[in-house]
Amino acid sequence: MSTTTRQDTGVAPGGEQRARSGAVTHAKPPRSGMLLSLLAWVVGLLFALPVFWMVLTSFHSEADAATNPPSVFAPLSLEGYRTFFGSDPWPALLNSLTASVLSTVLVLVLAFPAAYALSIRPVRKWTDVMFFFLSTKMLPVVAGILPLYLFAQKAHLLDNIWWLILLYTTMNLPIAVWMLRSFLAEVSVEMLEAAEVDGASLSRTLREIVAPVVMPGIASAALICFIFSWNELLLARVLTSTVAATSPVYLTGFVTSQGLFLAKVCAASLVVSLPVLAAGFAAQDKLVQGLSMGAVK
Amino acid sequence: MSTTATQTAPPTRSRKRGPKSLNAGQGRRGVLLVTPTLILLAVVIMYPLVRAVIMSFQKDSGLDPATGMFSEGGFAGTQNYQHWLLQQCAAAGGTTQPCPPGTLGSQFYDALFVTLFFTVVTVFFEIGLGLWFATIMNRTFKGRGLVRAAILIPWAIPTAVTAKLWFFIFAYEGIANKLLGGVGIKPLLWTGDAWPARFAVIIADVWKTTPFMALLILAGLQLISSDVYEAAQIDGASKWQTFTRITLPLIKVPLMVAILFRTLDVLRIYDLPAILTNGGGGSGHATTTLSILVINQIRAGFNSASALSTLVFLLIAFVAFIFVRFLGADVVQRPPGKEAAKRRWFRRQPVAAEGE
Repeated sequence: MSTTTRQDTGVAPGGEQRARSGAVTHAKPPRSGMLLSLLAWVVGLLFALPVFWMVLTSFHSEADAATNPPSVFAPLSLEGYRTFFGSDPWPALLNSLTASVLSTVLVLVLAFPAAYALSIRPVRKWTDVMFFFLSTKMLPVVAGILPLYLFAQKAHLLDNIWWLILLYTTMNLPIAVWMLRSFLAEVSVEMLEAAEVDGASLSRTLREIVAPVVMPGIASAALICFIFSWNELLLARVLTSTVAATSPVYLTGFVTSQGLFLAKVCAASLVVSLPVLAAGFAAQDKLVQGLSMGAVK
Repeated sequence: MSTTATQTAPPTRSRKRGPKSLNAGQGRRGVLLVTPTLILLAVVIMYPLVRAVIMSFQKDSGLDPATGMFSEGGFAGTQNYQHWLLQQCAAAGGTTQPCPPGTLGSQFYDALFVTLFFTVVTVFFEIGLGLWFATIMNRTFKGRGLVRAAILIPWAIPTAVTAKLWFFIFAYEGIANKLLGGVGIKPLLWTGDAWPARFAVIIADVWKTTPFMALLILAGLQLISSDVYEAAQIDGASKWQTFTRITLPLIKVPLMVAILFRTLDVLRIYDLPAILTNGGGGSGHATTTLSILVINQIRAGFNSASALSTLVFLLIAFVAFIFVRFLGADVVQRPPGKEAAKRRWFRRQPVAAEGE
C-alpha cells in the first residue's frame, strides 16, 4: 500500500487545483472551467508533443531536420517517405497486416465461445480456468523464446508467418477471454431464457441475442489484439529473418542502416505507426472501455 | 478482475445475477467451448516453459575450457544456476572460478538491480502522475475527447518507434540537452553514461505508459457517483479527506490491478532499453535488464540462457504471488471476489447503500 502514500505528492497539486477552481466556481464560473481546460490541454499537448515533432520532422528535408531547435517553418519535403518506400517495405507491412488480422480473427473465434462458457453458462471450476488464463500473462516472453525457436527450427517454421500468427493468437487469447467475459456478463438472462423456451439453437442464441449486446466488447478486444500483434517486436525479431519479417523488425533494420538520417527514420516510424494510430484514434472510447474491462497492459 | 465488479455492476443490476448462477454447470457443452482455448494455451505456453526448465539442467555443448576438447553436454545438475546465482564460471581443470568482469555471467546481479530499479521507479511515477491526470480529466471540459485521444498516442505507437523517437531527443545535440542548456545545465551523455542512460529509459517508459494508466484510473473514477461527493461536501469533508477516504478506497481494486499488470510488465521490459540505449551506458551494461541479458546469453549458450530465463520466470511469479497475497485476493480472484467486493463497496458508500 506504499503506493497510496507515495502518490500523495503527485496528487496534491491536482487536489489544490480542484479546490481552487471549486471555490472560484461560485463567483466566476467561466474562469474555473477555463483554468481546468487549460491544464488538461497542456498535459495532453505535452504528451503528444514528441509525436508532433516526429510528424513534422518526417516532412522535412534532411538538412532542415538536423537543425536544433527544430525549424518549424522549413519547406515541406517528401524525401524521407520517398526513401522509405523506395527501400521496399511492402513485404514487411503486408506481413504485419497478415499476422495482426489473422491472429485477431483466430483469437475472436476461440475466445468468444470460451468467454461464453465461462460467463453466461459457467462450467464448474471456472474460477480456476480464469486464473490459469491470468497466470499465462505472468510468463516472461524470454522464458519461452528459446524452446519456441528450437521447435520452429526442427519443424521448419522459422521465418514463417504462420508460426508468428499462432504465437500472437496464444499471446492475446487470455486478454481477449477476460475482456469478452466482462462484456458477456452484461447479457440479459431473461432474454436467454426466453430464447431457450422458444427452442432456439445454441448458434442462433449466440448470433441473435448474445452477439449484438457484446458487439462493443468484440470491437474493443479486436482492436487491442490488433495493436498488440502489430507492435510486437521480440518474438518477431528472433523468429523471422527476411521472408516473414514484420514491420517493427523492418523498422529496426531500416533504423540501423539509416539511423543518422532523422527525416527518413521519422517518416519510416510514422508509416509503421499509422495503422495502430488510425485504429486507436477512431475508437478511443471503445479502447478505454475494453482495456479497463480486461484491466491489462 | 474485480474492475468489472465495480465497473459493470450498478446496484440495480445485482438482482439479475441470481438466476444466472442457477444455470451453472451446463456441463459438457460448456467444457467443449473452453477446451480449444485451454489446449492451445497449454501447448504453446506451457510446453516452452517446461522445455526451458529441462534445458536449464543440461550442459551447453561446446569446447570444454578444461580439456580444449568438444564436449557433448549432458546432465549438468545445478551448475547453470550456480553460474548465475553464485557467479561461478567454468575454468580450466574442470573447476569453477568467480566470473571475471565483462562476461555475461558477471552481469546477473547488475541486471537484476537495473530491472528492479526500473520497475519501482517507473511504476511509482506512472501511478502518481496517472492518478493526477485522471483526476484532472474526470472533470468535464471542452475538447475532453480530443485530449483523451491525444494522450493515447504514446501508448498505441510501437515501442520500437518510441525508443527511436526518444533516442533522437536524448542525442548529444538533441532537444533534451538543448532544454537543459536553456536552464544552464551542461549537456549530458544521455545514452552513454550509466545513470543518464537509466533515466532516459525511465523517462521514455513513463511517457509511453502514464497516459494509459490515467485512462484506466479515469474509467474507475467515472463510476463513482457524484452523490457520494455531494454527501461528503455536506458533511464538510476537505478535498484531501474526500480523496483519501472516498476516491482511493473506491478505485482500490482497479488501481491494484493496474499496478499488478504494470509491475509484471516492467519486470519483463526488453524493447525500450534494447533499442534506446542498446542495453549499454556506463560500463557497457548499465541498462541491461534481465530480459536483455537472456537474449544476449542465447548466443553464448542455450542451456545457461534457459537457467537464466527460468530464474526470471521465478522472480516474476514470486512478485505476482506477493501482490496477490498481500494486496488481497480481489486482484486475481474476480469471481468469488466479485460479489464480496461489491458488497464491501456499498457498505462503505453510504448513499449507494441506502439505494439498495
